[in-house]
Amino acid sequence: MTRSAKKGPYVDAKLLVKIERGGEESKDTPIKTWARASMIAPEFIGHTFEVHNGRHFIKVYVTEDMVGHRLGEFAATRTFRGHRRKD
Amino acid sequence: MPRILGVDVPNDKAVWVALTYVYGIGTTSSDKILNDLGINRTTRARDLSEEELARIAAFIEKNFVVEGQLRRQVTANIGRLRDIGSYRGLRHRRSLPVRGQRTRCNARSRKGPKKTIANRKIARK
Repeated sequence: MTRSAKKGPYVDAKLLVKIERGGEESKDTPIKTWARASMIAPEFIGHTFEVHNGRHFIKVYVTEDMVGHRLGEFAATRTFRGHRRKD
Repeated sequence: MPRILGVDVPNDKAVWVALTYVYGIGTTSSDKILNDLGINRTTRARDLSEEELARIAAFIEKNFVVEGQLRRQVTANIGRLRDIGSYRGLRHRRSLPVRGQRTRCNARSRKGPKKTIANRKIARK
């Protein structure tokens, strides 16, 4: 079921604060975060995040197209590389 | 056979069914179209007058995205998912189910026909 529109999108409050406080020049320093469920807000564009995938932080550079998706969508949590070839 | 919007040639079914032969028109939108235009939904498609056909075509053109344009829109949406490197894009690239379905078994629509692995050990008793 989709989230109620009344609540608005879920954007991690801390991330917004960090972006606001950092200003324009902070775009170069990646923001480490575990907030995989956080929606990508328009304010995020141009920033780099380090999204935790359970083990490592995956660098995610946010572009305009990503707005409305969640941070976790860009940091895969699984490492399946195909089945063993036998011959 | 009447033609609606170029290539689509619905046959001698009731109009509301015939309209669903247009890509992008299902039963709901079909019903809505005929309702809004005040055309009896059960008349046979071949009995439609030229004027009615024109009205249906105009209405669809105005209110719906159909056929080629819709197909292009869908591919563009998928392309976007691929390009931004999202999980869903990745599933599309590997042609696996996109919406979290299981893949241990089934998922044949996405994976295509079974590829049997030869020499698989059969569980012994």
